[in-house]
Amino acid sequence: MTTDIAAETLKLPSLDYAALAPMLILFGVGCVGVLVEAIAPKKARFPVQLVLAVLGIAASLTAIVLAAGTEKVTAAGAVAVDGPGLFLQGSIAVLGLVALLLISERSLERGGAFVAQAAVTANSEADRDQATRGSGATEVYPLIIFSLGGMMLFAAANDLLTMFVALEVFSLPLYLLCAMARRRRLLSQEAALKYFLLGAFASAFFLFGIALVYGYAGRVDFAGIHAAVLDSPNDIALLYIGLAMVAIGLLFKAALAPFHVWTPDVYQGAPTPVTALMAACTKVAAFGGLLRVLYVAFERSQWDYRPVLGAIAVLTMLVGAVLAVTQTDIKRLLAYSSIANAGYVLVGVLAISKAGLASSLFYLVAYGFSVLAAFGIVTLVRDADGEATHLSRWAGLGRRSPLYATLFTFLLLAFAGIPLTSGFTAKFGVFAAAIEADQTWLVIAGVITSAIIAFPYLRVVVMMWLSEPGESTPAVSLPGALTAAAVTIGAAATLLLGIVPQPLLDMTENAAHFVR
Amino acid sequence: MDDKLTQFGQDVWWLVLAKVLLVFVFLVLMTLFAIWYERRVVARMQVRPGPNRVGPAGLLQSLADGLKLAFKEDIMPKMADKAVFFIAPVISTTCAFTAFAVIPFGPTVSVFGEKTPIQLTDVPVAVLLVLACSSMGIYGIVLGGWASGSTYPLLGGLRSSAQMISYEVAMGLSIVAVFMTAGTMSTSQIVDAQKDTQTLTLGGFDLTVPGWYAFLLIPSFLIYAIAAVGETNRAPFDLPEAESELVGGFHTEYSSLKFALFFLAEYINMVTVSGLATTLFLGGWRAPWPISLWDGANQGWWPLLWFTIKVLLLLFVFVWLRGTLPRLRYDQFMRFGWKVLIPLSLLWILTLAGIRVVQGSDLTVQARLAVVGGPILVALAIWMFWPDKRKAIEDPGVHGVDAAGRIGGTEGFPVPPLNLEVPVSPRAQRVLGERETVSTSKES
Amino acid sequence: MSLSPYIPIVGLFALGAGFALFSVAIAPFVGPRRYNRAKLDAYECGIEPTPQPIGGGRFPVKFYLTAMLFIVFDIEIIFLYPWAVSFEALGVFGFVEMVLFIITVFVAYAYVWRRGGLDWD
Repeated sequence: MTTDIAAETLKLPSLDYAALAPMLILFGVGCVGVLVEAIAPKKARFPVQLVLAVLGIAASLTAIVLAAGTEKVTAAGAVAVDGPGLFLQGSIAVLGLVALLLISERSLERGGAFVAQAAVTANSEADRDQATRGSGATEVYPLIIFSLGGMMLFAAANDLLTMFVALEVFSLPLYLLCAMARRRRLLSQEAALKYFLLGAFASAFFLFGIALVYGYAGRVDFAGIHAAVLDSPNDIALLYIGLAMVAIGLLFKAALAPFHVWTPDVYQGAPTPVTALMAACTKVAAFGGLLRVLYVAFERSQWDYRPVLGAIAVLTMLVGAVLAVTQTDIKRLLAYSSIANAGYVLVGVLAISKAGLASSLFYLVAYGFSVLAAFGIVTLVRDADGEATHLSRWAGLGRRSPLYATLFTFLLLAFAGIPLTSGFTAKFGVFAAAIEADQTWLVIAGVITSAIIAFPYLRVVVMMWLSEPGESTPAVSLPGALTAAAVTIGAAATLLLGIVPQPLLDMTENAAHFVR
Repeated sequence: MDDKLTQFGQDVWWLVLAKVLLVFVFLVLMTLFAIWYERRVVARMQVRPGPNRVGPAGLLQSLADGLKLAFKEDIMPKMADKAVFFIAPVISTTCAFTAFAVIPFGPTVSVFGEKTPIQLTDVPVAVLLVLACSSMGIYGIVLGGWASGSTYPLLGGLRSSAQMISYEVAMGLSIVAVFMTAGTMSTSQIVDAQKDTQTLTLGGFDLTVPGWYAFLLIPSFLIYAIAAVGETNRAPFDLPEAESELVGGFHTEYSSLKFALFFLAEYINMVTVSGLATTLFLGGWRAPWPISLWDGANQGWWPLLWFTIKVLLLLFVFVWLRGTLPRLRYDQFMRFGWKVLIPLSLLWILTLAGIRVVQGSDLTVQARLAVVGGPILVALAIWMFWPDKRKAIEDPGVHGVDAAGRIGGTEGFPVPPLNLEVPVSPRAQRVLGERETVSTSKES
Repeated sequence: MSLSPYIPIVGLFALGAGFALFSVAIAPFVGPRRYNRAKLDAYECGIEPTPQPIGGGRFPVKFYLTAMLFIVFDIEIIFLYPWAVSFEALGVFGFVEMVLFIITVFVAYAYVWRRGGLDWD
């Protein structure tokens, strides 16, 4: 009968719950967060959500630590739990936790950095009202938790379809979060819409690429694609076009030129804590996905994609460095800096070796901490209209508040890759890996662009220290405990990874093996 | 699964053509009959004769009306989107006809030496086809309302589509239980699954119950019946055509044969949901109990009669509802669909699935009772002890009248105040509030 | 000769569509044609009608919200159907998975309910 036939053909997937726990915990906590939104009284929501989110991420981190050393493919081949996957998940959890501290800060502005309703017409009366008076939306917590869960799944996805689902899961909350800035509402809404539309395009490319790769390989799981690459009797053009389209989707998320154009606008328009989250965690997740796709699925066609991606890396570093020079807004400057840094990570990725993998992982973590601290300081420099992000307003900041100017200078030096900062160690790692893999041209381009991009950083430093504070130079707000903690953690990590990088280097070295 | 469906798709071409034509004629005849039937039944309920002039007992009245419509002027409004306005009734009618393709009328019979089931065709996803067609039919309504370029049709079309999609969810959820019990989505097999009688043991008595899912799955049947009325835009859920608010709803601007097509589609949809209800819940074409004792009842052409009678009885319920119930308000109606029907359906599906999983397992009776009863008790306890948000109503001192000036609680009727002071109407307060906001916006 | 079981559906579709198209096509030719301006205007009360602009006017966002909720639940139904049909074969595992899935949708549903997404005024 019908049931017998079905029972024979139906194989239930085996799920390794311990290995999946980090993601399952986060998704569960996200659902609970939505329920809290539905049930808890308005006043209780913020503390409940904050505690819930922190505990959730901590629990997820614990699960990751407990799963350390696991190497297996589970959930019917959909999820791979291995060294790089767990390392990336751990970085996403830690960086997400620090970003969450920034996001939860409510002492700088009444009601926090977010408005309650993102879709209210900008500059209408209702909008002004909610911007000045209303308490911020606490929906941001479940959204962030879902997003972090999606990022973790993205870094661990072992087939293209799971990857696509994860991509959407972590992107959609980010689109929404971008629209919720309390100040400069129109800019925020524009950023969200732009991010959403371009992101939708990128997703469509990614999906179409999956279809073409499936047409070539007949499989969507990475092991199957790996086996089929170069061996499949199908037209090789399917593979190339498919890989190109999949790569476009990934490069968009990682903000690599020429798919970077959304970055400055979105980074500028989004609420600064969310920008910090995107710069740190999204970058980790996007490169995690890119690494897995390139290293696991398409390793055997590396001779085909390496020159193209190498050109993209050079272009990214150039675009990021050169355009950073012309910026007059600190958030846009940091956005271009993040583009350039993405280029450096790609240099490490393109080594296609264990050293390349390890150095890329290290770079992502090091950069994540620095950028979180940098955006944390940006949230502190404010005047009556909110954050003072125009560069001219930062002139003479060193005289007004030497502590934060020092910290920011230190972080800028880290971005520039000066020794004794994590930036130096990270850059050294990726360049060394690239030279080892005979990709010297990438390293040359990297060194040249590093010199170029040092200029805008130094300009900010000079402006802060050597200019006289003007009338319009804002004072630095006294940070609340949460922002202070986030900035401290970020800056301390930047310093520590510059002075004693060995523990983390060992960790990345040990983790750098993909399971297939 | 497919071994049972092999009898379909075997017909010779002329038989297929004949069946297609017969289904078409059946539907058109049913429509003409249903209109007459409705008018006569409603008339009887209102103690008046109803149409009785054209033909015997007025039977040809709807045919005459249809012909009259064909010779009416066909108006294309100036603001209409011509192509869409033209195509909308076609979409509605076509989808309505197509949905009936998989409804089984009877068992296998022999026609001119060819053995064939009295059913146009059946496929493994037959019920899905019916649902798909009814969903597509909504396009006709929303596009017709949109393309008219007029306010009433636009609102009517929107309301209509919002209502239909809301109730389609409830309808779709209600039949999940049927698929679960029958293990198939093909209509002929669902009818087949209902043929055996079941024996229930209640307190020592053996009760023989027909295998109809209407008895086995009462909640599903009730939800389906309610959703079907909402889905077909019939009273008391005929809000899209609320004459007092929206003139004719989405078809206000339609005239002549285009209007007739919408009318036709609506009645065919009624016949379709009745036919589907018959198939899914009332044993399909199989004869009901006393008749089924006769061996020949479920053979040959007789089942066609049982099927038609069941459909007509269901149509009678439609008319009965229209004759007795007042129209709901839109917010009440949507609230009922989203806040009552959908959670109830989901809960029922989960309960049924839980019961069946427990039945399939090898647990003891006590364990079974614990597994089934535990969640129910917990749910009951939550429901009982859930804090009541309604504020305690103060007693204004008059017997039976509360602080809000109502008799019978918040759902009751307002009564005039005893001091004869005219209360400020809630509407006036709203206008006042709006004026305030306008003035502040000018100041700022 | 045997036909695919789907062919008759196409047949009925064609007959229904043909009938409907024929009806709308002949309608302007059978009926009288005595147009005037008032007849072609939007059907409304008052002297000056307020027709909708081409492409539809603005209408409450509520309808969009209902449509989005419908999609959520329709997708839920799409997942429920195959599960229901092969319920026996999927057994306890399928049941647990489906409970989890329904709970997930229920979380969103509870949120929408509490935030007034299901209320019409």
